[in-house]
Parts: sequence; structure tokens; C-alpha cells
Amino acid sequence: MPSSTCLRRFSQLSLDNASYAPIASRNLLTTPQASCFSTSRARYANPTARKGMVAPPKRGTKTLNVKKGKSAPGRDTGKRPAPGERKAMRKRIVLSNINALEVRTLKDLDKANVLSKNNEGQVLGLPNEVVDALRAVEAFKTTQGWSLFRRPATLYRKETTEVAELIKQVEEAGEGQKKTIRRVLIGDRMSGKSTLLLQALMMAFMRDWVVVNLPDAKDIVIAHTEYAPLPNSNPTQYTQDAYTAALLSQISKANEAVLQNLPVITNPTLPIALPSKSNLKQLADIGAANPEASWPIFNALWAELTKPGRPPLILAIDNLSHIMRHSAYLSADVKPIHAFDLTLISHFISHLSGQTSLPNGGLVLAATTNSNSPSSPAMEFSLEVAEKKRYGGEVPRWNPYKHVDERVTSVLRDVEVLKVGGLSKEEARCLLEYYAASGMVRGRVDEGYVGEKWSLAGMGNCGELERVAIRMRV
Amino acid sequence: MPPRLNILSFARSIPYRPKSQAQWHVQPTIRAAPSQSRAFSDPKDPPSTDRSTRIGSQPLPDVSEEAAKTAEIKGAQGPELEKGTPVGEVVKGDKAAQEKLPKIMQDALKSKMSASGPKGSRSYSTTTTPINSGSGVELGLVDFHLATSTPDVPGVKFGLPTLPIPRDANLKYRYDPVVDQVTNLLMRHGQLSVAQRNMSLILNHLRTAPVPTINPSRPLIPGAPPPSHLPLNPILYLTLAIDSVAPLLRIRSQKGAAGGGVALQIPVPLGQRQRRRTAVQWILAAATRRRHRGSGKGGFAQRIAEELISVVEGRSAVWERRHAVHKLGVAARANVVLPRKR
Repeated sequence: MPSSTCLRRFSQLSLDNASYAPIASRNLLTTPQASCFSTSRARYANPTARKGMVAPPKRGTKTLNVKKGKSAPGRDTGKRPAPGERKAMRKRIVLSNINALEVRTLKDLDKANVLSKNNEGQVLGLPNEVVDALRAVEAFKTTQGWSLFRRPATLYRKETTEVAELIKQVEEAGEGQKKTIRRVLIGDRMSGKSTLLLQALMMAFMRDWVVVNLPDAKDIVIAHTEYAPLPNSNPTQYTQDAYTAALLSQISKANEAVLQNLPVITNPTLPIALPSKSNLKQLADIGAANPEASWPIFNALWAELTKPGRPPLILAIDNLSHIMRHSAYLSADVKPIHAFDLTLISHFISHLSGQTSLPNGGLVLAATTNSNSPSSPAMEFSLEVAEKKRYGGEVPRWNPYKHVDERVTSVLRDVEVLKVGGLSKEEARCLLEYYAASGMVRGRVDEGYVGEKWSLAGMGNCGELERVAIRMRV
Repeated sequence: MPPRLNILSFARSIPYRPKSQAQWHVQPTIRAAPSQSRAFSDPKDPPSTDRSTRIGSQPLPDVSEEAAKTAEIKGAQGPELEKGTPVGEVVKGDKAAQEKLPKIMQDALKSKMSASGPKGSRSYSTTTTPINSGSGVELGLVDFHLATSTPDVPGVKFGLPTLPIPRDANLKYRYDPVVDQVTNLLMRHGQLSVAQRNMSLILNHLRTAPVPTINPSRPLIPGAPPPSHLPLNPILYLTLAIDSVAPLLRIRSQKGAAGGGVALQIPVPLGQRQRRRTAVQWILAAATRRRHRGSGKGGFAQRIAEELISVVEGRSAVWERRHAVHKLGVAARANVVLPRKR
């Protein structure tokens, strides 16, 4: 039998008990006497005084408004953009600023002078057709400062001349001794590695080479495009049809002038029929239009390009460290797929490691990055060893407590590096004078100014120089 | 279209003239500057003084000391004793005195007179030349050259600065005052560097945006430069936008002064900094209400920049706000309490 206290408690329960002040429930005396289970109180309550509404705030006093939703104060009420619009906005490449002054003394590069040694230490303009081609292979990056100047122009620094030398070596090699030069670009953050890659592509375009550029290795391995196992491959390799088709369309668009003049001379067996007397541009376009056949067509295109008598090739990749590890794709038994098992990457890697050479000569370039690089201890170690071998210094020893990726070390065993360092003061001066001539730097560019900016930029780091001169401090 | 700026003043030759190696002079690794100050541990007197009491046994003072004493007697200013005696200058042109010099100084004099290089027969140099001059060797010390000539002001090692010292020479006042103020108003949660990045994005957006068209019904402040000059001077652009919409006054509500529980609206003039602050806050509020189109970090900066452009072009709602405040101020001008005239 329940106790009397319990019964009394039960009788005092009211439907709207929660509306009482908290003290009321604790103090039995102040509890209003209402009959149990009655709805009369709510029914006969004053209809004007709504629940939860106290007296209106005094005139002139500020009240705290913590409402959420439509009537909340200070809310961004703008319409939301359409799907894809934001990313397009973020990835937009702007290559011209109509407000910037036109530099009268700016000379253009052309086919004859692009490899010349005399260009060193000068800012030179890029011709329009090359700009279009570079845009097609996505060589321009959003982080670079192209959008501030009237038209794209680039500084020929010491490292650029080195790359020009390499290209000249490839071109001047005689028949039968064609060279495949492999280089990995290393250097500090913002020191101009991607820009140097762009300059190499630019020279290749101007010298009528065929350019194959993988603009960002990250896009290949982050599993944003479809993949499928390659039939009859052991160990299993994986093709990326959509990505390969996009790459083929880039190749076709960027190298249009060269590929149009190269007829198909082999008789490739392709899933899609090729019209007779077609050229390589048509071949690439068919691959771009049919993603399911893109990998065989890429192979056929490559076989065509490596036939004797074809132009030299340049093969480039940016963000190297992304492919030196497991990709984000999963195999059928839910194991991560190593990036080297993706067909496109294994194709590139076989050229970077020197396993396959380019019969018509060519350049294989890979740029590392320090802004967005997943850690790959094997790659870092291999590149450090290569750097010490090339530029001197004590060769480091492998830390035995780190996991070694044998596939990576075997690829990068005998690769050479090209270090992108800081600008010299003369180069910095030339760049700052170009900024001033474009109207971006206001004020006199004299020795003191150059020295100040050069020092602030960490002894001539190219990106930092741009930052201190025209970006952060206007 | 006529050129917006004097282009010729900017056009300057780009080609780079390589510095010839001959200009590079070998600098000592340790830069020994002539010491201008004496350490506390130095003896008070030069070594030539003797502390013997008898005048006759004291050694004769050296040339400089003698000259100093003579000058003191004459009431003129003699040579400074702490710098040592410039023996070379003293014996200049005095053959007899030169013969009495120590051998090393005589050799130095002779070599200076003949003005020839080192005597050796080597055709090559044995000194090292830097690989790329000025990058590794100087370790970031900019323009650190040994003062070749003695400064004309004694006690100042690097010469006196030219006066007046520019305002932005101080670390704390290196930015333009408007830029500084707007940056601080942009700052949220004390994140100054984020605000600074936003500020630089705003200025870059102003630089790349097309030239604004001025609305004649919304005139900018008098003395504003033509709009074609604005994009290349983004700080001026920013200042112009802010100063143009800045209200001249604010309305202070004096409670109970009007009687009957109504607050009395009193217009109060604002100072320049306060005016700018009000304008920036209006602009920020208007920018927040704008449509956000992109993604990533630069969105807010872009909206603020667009709002600034629309202010200059007279499209912004901030102008209405300024107008309303001024109208209210005019209506309430009778409430202004002026100091009583005597």
C-alpha cells in the first residue's frame, strides 16, 4: 500500500507543473491549489498573456536576441550558389589584369630565343598560343600571381637556364644516342618549383615537343574518379577511365598543332574503329570521347609517339609525394591499392625510374611540393640522398625505425634532383622592376628597397618576394 | 582613352645588367670597425702618462696631447685624445720625420706612394670569390658595408638619420592608418593574421576590379582623384570609399530630457577616426548580407571588396544609412546644446 506522502505528492501533480517557478515545487505552501487532472486552469487562463511571454521590454533598453532561423539578427541571407559554382570560382585561373600597366620594354619569347642563355636574369613575355596550351594542360596554379599583371610573363632565373640546357641537350643529341633526362625538382616552399615546371612545359611547347602533363598527382590518387581492374594483369593493375579520357583531351587540345601533322602509322587493335588515314589528334580525340576505351587508346597513342622520327616528349607531374604511397582506392579484398598499381602512374613511374626510356629523347620532370604533401619517408630519404650526391654534403642514413616503402626507394634509386633555391639579388631586382613597371609596386626600386625585400623574402625566396612586395603589403 | 597614369615614368628598362666581377671587392670576414668607444676596463689614462710627482721626471706628452694642451690654453678645441694620434697625418710632407718612423709604417707609406699592387709575379688571384655574390656569404645582412669614411658626427657609427623620420619608420605604425584601422575592425576572435590576409585580399581585389563608374548623384569627397587612378592605388581606393560614406555625426538619445518619457535626440559631431569606424562597420554589415558565391578562405574579403566598389559607384545601401543619419541630425539640430556665450 502506498504511503500517505506518496499519495499527497501524486495529488499535487498538475499538468502545467513545469510552468511554475522552480522554487514553487520545493515549497509546498506556495503551490497553487488546483485539482488533480484538471484542465480548467489552462482553459480559463488569461488569453492575452501568452505562455512564456513576460512583460515587453522597457522602452530604450536593449534585449538579448538569441533567435535562430529566419528572423535571427546578422544572418547571411544571400542566396546560395548553384552546385559546382563555388568550386569553379575557387579554381578559376585569371591571367590578366586590365588595370595593370602594360610594360613597354617587355620582350616576347619565340622559338629561336627560348633556349638562349642570354635570357637569364630577364623577365620575358609568353606568347598567346603558348598561354592557351599551358592553360589546356593546367600548368597555371591559382596560388601563383598571374592575375595581377597585364599578361603572363616569366623571369628567367638560373634554374630556368639549367632546364633550357637540358632541353638543348635532348634536341642536339644525334640519331641513335637519344637522351631521356630525368629530374625531380626540389626546394623550399614557395621557391618556384611549379613555376619552373611551367617554364619547362613552355619551352617544350615552343620547341614543338609533345607535352604530357599530369597537373596534380593528388587528383589521381584521392579516389574521386572511377577505377576498374585491368584485365589480364598480374599483379592486378587498375585503370582510371574518366581521368585518362580527360588527360587525352588535354593532350589533344594542348598539342593540337603537333599532333595534327603526325599520321597514325601503326595498325593498333582498338575497341573503337579508327578512320583510315587519321592523325594522332583524331586518335586522342576518340579516346577522350570514349572513356571506356581510353586506356587502350592512350597506349596506342604512346606507341605512335615513340616510333622513330617523332618529336621529343616531355612528361611532367606536380605534387610528386601523393603518388609515392597508397592511394585512396580499395582493391576487391578491401586492401588499399598502392599508387604504383594505377596504370597511369605506373606508366609515369617507369619513365621516372629510367626503366623505360623515350626513343626520340625527352625530359621526365617531377616537382615535389611542401604545401600539401602527405608524408612519404622513403621518397624524402631518397631525394635527400640524391640532393647530397648532387650538391655535396653528408649522405644521410636511413632511420631503421621508419617503415620503408621498397617500391618507392627502388624507383627513386638513381634519380637526379634539381634544386630550386632563392633568387639572387640581381634577379630579385629585375623582378621588382617588372612589378614597378606594371604599376604594382609604387615607389622607387633602388638598392635599399631590393635588399630589404630580398631579405624579408628569406634570402630571395620567389613566392615570399611576391608576397612581401605586392601581396601582403601593398 | 588617354593613359591613366604617366606611363613613361614607370617604363624602365627591364634587362638586367650583370654586375662585373671587378666591382666586387674582397671584404674581411671580421669587419673591424674603428672603435669609437672605450671599454670600462680600459685604463683611464693613456700609457704614456706617468704618476711620478716630480714634473721633470714625467715623460713628454705625445703630439696629440701636446696639441690638446696648447689648444686648451688658447681656448680652442684640440684633437680628441681618445682616438689616438694620426701619426700618418702628422708626418705628412715632413721628410725628416718620416725617416724616423718605424719600418712597417715606412713600408706602408712607400707602397701607398707607388700605388702598385702586390709585388708577386703570380698572374692569378689567390683570394676566394663567392659563387653567387651576396647570397650565402652575407647571411641576410643587407647592405652591410663597412663605413669607409669616418662619419662627420663623432660618436655616431652609421651616420644620423635624415629628418623628419617618416611615419612608417616605426614598427608599430608601418601600415597606413586607414589600413590599420580597417584590419583591426575586420578582426574576429583576436585573429590578427587572418584579418591581415583578408585585408590584403581586399586590396588585391580592388586592384584587379574594373575601373569604377562614379554616380553623379552620390558624389565622393571633394578632391577625389579620377576613378581611373583608383585601381592602381588600392589604399587610396579604400580610403576614398570609407571617407565618402562616413557620417559627420551620430545621434545621441538623452533619456528623459524631452519630457514625457521621450528621449531627446541630440546630434553629436564625430572625429575622423570615429567617422571611419562607423562607416567600416556599416560596410561590414552590408557585406555580410551579400550573396556568398565562392568557397574557401577568401569569400568574406571578396564580399567586402565588392561592397567597397559599390560604395564608390553609389549603389550601396550604406549611402541611404548615411543619408538617414544626416537627415535626423538636421531635424534634431535644435537640440544641440551650444556652450553659452558670455
